[in-house]
Amino acid sequence: MSVHMSASRRAGTWLLSTGVLILVGIMLLPVAFMVAMSFKTGAEMAADPLGLPGGIFFGNYENALSKMTYVRSVLNSIGVTLSVAVLVSFIGALAAYPLARRTNRLSRALVLIVALGLSTPNFVTITPIYVIFRQIGLLDTYLGLILAFTALNLPLAVFFYTSFIRSIPAELDEAARLDNCSDFQIFWYIIRPLLGPATATLSLFVMLMVWNDFTYPLLLLTDESKFTVMISVYRFIGNHTISPEDLFPAAVLGSLPLLLLFLFFQRRIVAGVTAGAVK
Amino acid sequence: MQRLAKYKIYLFVLPAVIVLGAFFIYPILLTAKLSFTDFTGVGVANNVGWKNYERIFTRSRYVDALKVTLFFTLIVVVIQTASGLFFASLLNRLHSIRNLCRAALFLPAMMSFVIVGYVWQFIYSPFNGGLNALLAGIGLESLQNNWIGDPDTALFALAFAHIWMFVGYTTAIFLAGYAGIPQELDEAARIEGTSAWQRFRHIEIPLLAPSFTINIVLSTIGTLKTFELPFIMTRGGPDGATRTLSLHIIDSLFGKYKFGFASALSIVMLILVIVVAYAQNRILRSREEQL
Amino acid sequence: MHTPKSRFLRSLISRLITGAIVLMGLSTASLATVTLEVTAWKGNDTEPAALPELIERFEAANPDISIDFSYISRSDTDIVLPPRLQGGEAPDVMMADMPLVKIWSDAGLLAPLDKDGWYDRLTDQISQAITLGDNVYVMPLEVIGMGNFVNMGLLNAVGIDAPPTTIDALKDACQKLSAAGTQPLLLAGGFPAPLFAIANGLEADPADAGALGSGATTFEGNDAFMGALNHVKDLQQAGCFDGETIAGVDPWSTALSEFKAGNFAMMPQGAWNIQNFSSAPELDFVFAPLPSSKDTGVALDLFGFGWVISAQTEQAEAAKTFVDFFTDDANLKELLKAESAYSPFSDGTHGMASLAAPYDAARENGGTVMFPFGVLTWPKALEGEIFDSMTGFLLDLDKDANDVLSRWDEIIEDQ
Repeated sequence: MSVHMSASRRAGTWLLSTGVLILVGIMLLPVAFMVAMSFKTGAEMAADPLGLPGGIFFGNYENALSKMTYVRSVLNSIGVTLSVAVLVSFIGALAAYPLARRTNRLSRALVLIVALGLSTPNFVTITPIYVIFRQIGLLDTYLGLILAFTALNLPLAVFFYTSFIRSIPAELDEAARLDNCSDFQIFWYIIRPLLGPATATLSLFVMLMVWNDFTYPLLLLTDESKFTVMISVYRFIGNHTISPEDLFPAAVLGSLPLLLLFLFFQRRIVAGVTAGAVK
Repeated sequence: MQRLAKYKIYLFVLPAVIVLGAFFIYPILLTAKLSFTDFTGVGVANNVGWKNYERIFTRSRYVDALKVTLFFTLIVVVIQTASGLFFASLLNRLHSIRNLCRAALFLPAMMSFVIVGYVWQFIYSPFNGGLNALLAGIGLESLQNNWIGDPDTALFALAFAHIWMFVGYTTAIFLAGYAGIPQELDEAARIEGTSAWQRFRHIEIPLLAPSFTINIVLSTIGTLKTFELPFIMTRGGPDGATRTLSLHIIDSLFGKYKFGFASALSIVMLILVIVVAYAQNRILRSREEQL
Repeated sequence: MHTPKSRFLRSLISRLITGAIVLMGLSTASLATVTLEVTAWKGNDTEPAALPELIERFEAANPDISIDFSYISRSDTDIVLPPRLQGGEAPDVMMADMPLVKIWSDAGLLAPLDKDGWYDRLTDQISQAITLGDNVYVMPLEVIGMGNFVNMGLLNAVGIDAPPTTIDALKDACQKLSAAGTQPLLLAGGFPAPLFAIANGLEADPADAGALGSGATTFEGNDAFMGALNHVKDLQQAGCFDGETIAGVDPWSTALSEFKAGNFAMMPQGAWNIQNFSSAPELDFVFAPLPSSKDTGVALDLFGFGWVISAQTEQAEAAKTFVDFFTDDANLKELLKAESAYSPFSDGTHGMASLAAPYDAARENGGTVMFPFGVLTWPKALEGEIFDSMTGFLLDLDKDANDVLSRWDEIIEDQ
């Protein structure tokens, strides 16, 4: 933080900050609405949707929690999401390194394959994955689910990292090579630490996508004790007739752990970014 | 031996390639094969030649869907990228609120599509929905509309909800890009007396070129494929005004059980996405290199 | 006293005891429970259909069968079950409706059911609908009504004390309601308007549905359907609704909350909403037939769903026992009561509450029309097109009715 800020600049910054905060606040109004609604009784919801709740009514939450196996499914979701984030970052960065550094035909072909993966419409992969998993016995396992999510998010990771690694000067590689480092050592000790911001951002994206996806858990898991929190939520809400008293508390319950996870990781991300900036 | 050693580095790509092959290449080939059949999802698939593709290109509804998809994507990508840049450029300077705002902007993305769809349906409701009530409150009653029930505004309304959900992503990517800009450059420019706008235009934007590429390509691909919000908020209505190609795929798969036809649609969509993405990537990459 | 003889005796006895224990073990093993995997799109908190209680009752009556029940919503069923069926890992018993039954049985994935004891008790319409060739693959569970929800509180306030069952009565009610400043009819394009159109189009001769569905006769130029669409135009004239506003209203969320909040007097929808609306304490409503030219109005019945048994099941006996359990009126009526539905059996007890008395009356007086998509007389693809085209029609009611109907014909041709 620069100490040499004039008073007028500081005032300008303060004004700007307030403006941005207000803007962001407005954007979050729908979210506030959702939370407010979750504390209303059914009658209040029908009568006056836009108003604030009369009092804080926990009944909806009680109902939702009693019908969803909440704690277990949250733990499942967290476990799966974190595992996928770690795996995808590692495999993705590893794969992106040669693709970013070499621009020969092989690289271009591989980039095309990655692009293919990124472009595939969602439902193309469902039945084939089911059939493959059934044959190798990965149905209804945590490993299978983690593998499926890792695979689905891999194209994004490779694409991301390829871009970022390209912006890391190749001279660093050269210098290390002069010191007789192997390719892997260069990757591990030089490139990887510099990927801080990229890994941070990518992990957030992957966590969001994995947490909210319920098609694959629904497809691959039959054991209820393995269910993720989103499946719990959808089972509870149902899909045809939306009942607001069920929808809003379930939504809050479904997203809350993710938000906490996020905030927890934000701290480490800040540390990572500043560490990585010290080139 | 020396030749091979040069390729040793590609071992790094091996795990990714195996995974991609099994999870994408194989299913795509399978889908291509099925696109020439009348498969219903179960049972036997009978070959019908090019009939599915013929139907796609001769019925106006699918060509219309293509137009809707492209237009929708254009709106979303342009506004979402611009918004992301807007927030990132401001937040980059405002260190105290940066992390808070970045997390806050991600909140919409943390909500599942069903919730987002439901809440925005409420906001857009023609019967005292949030937006209309707000407009009335500030005296702009004449602007009230039946946002998602009016074919003229439905696509924009949908696009806006979509942008709201994903602007956090674009902002985060731009912020990551900003983190790569050395602070000294900025300081030097400031000392020389350049205005904020000049710094923005001539230093930041060029150095953010990789972030632009990533944002534009990713949001284009994602939006071309997306189906959740259109499905939940309008189901393609009113009368097809928001029916994207992906909705047709869903319809064929899960309403009419026409797996073979849906496969053909999927292949068409795949080709569309690849063409657009590749062209974009090339254009943006070359600009990146120029800058 | 360890003489050889006593030692021999002791070892004999211990061997006998061990043998007896082993035998006991074996016989308890044969009494071990069989587990049946059952999936359904009912049975969760929002739409219980009394399934949790019924399953408990079943397990109590059949201690050797244990039920592993999973709720899978209707749309997720489409995603998740086909790969399992194709892959040979299907659940033993599944809830299905006719479109699914047709596709799955054509692919040989369903076991033909044993008709003894219950098939003959079904109403004619149902038994006709579910018999494919010589076989029956589904045991029907419910027939649910689709009619007109009428807010009697609002109607009483303008001096009307019975729900309108004819078009004229409907127009009259609309005029009185709009004069009093109440929005009369929530005829959204995505479901309510199609219900109205189909009911009025088929009421003159419900058997027409077959010919229309196969393409033997066309919708375009069909007097009954043209009449039905022209009625919609008349209703707008009478002030029932504003086409442009009402066309795009989502019938599964916005429309429901609007009716529940008492902002609209009437709304065609399915009886499955009765439970939801009943939870609003100030909503005084009845479930009535869809207004038509006939005096009785139309009771548009939907054959909802039933149980099917997977052809790959290894517990065929247990599956049959489970399915048969629901043919017993004493059990089925619980489900029907929770669902506000009718029994598919001609001698079955219905589950309708008193607020559905007007709909009941229409049924008893010959006003029943079977919803064509539930009994497969019309192809599923047509359903989406009807929803779409009715929405488009409402947006521009000056259009010629035949423009709408020709779109329906196009879909039939494409089959």
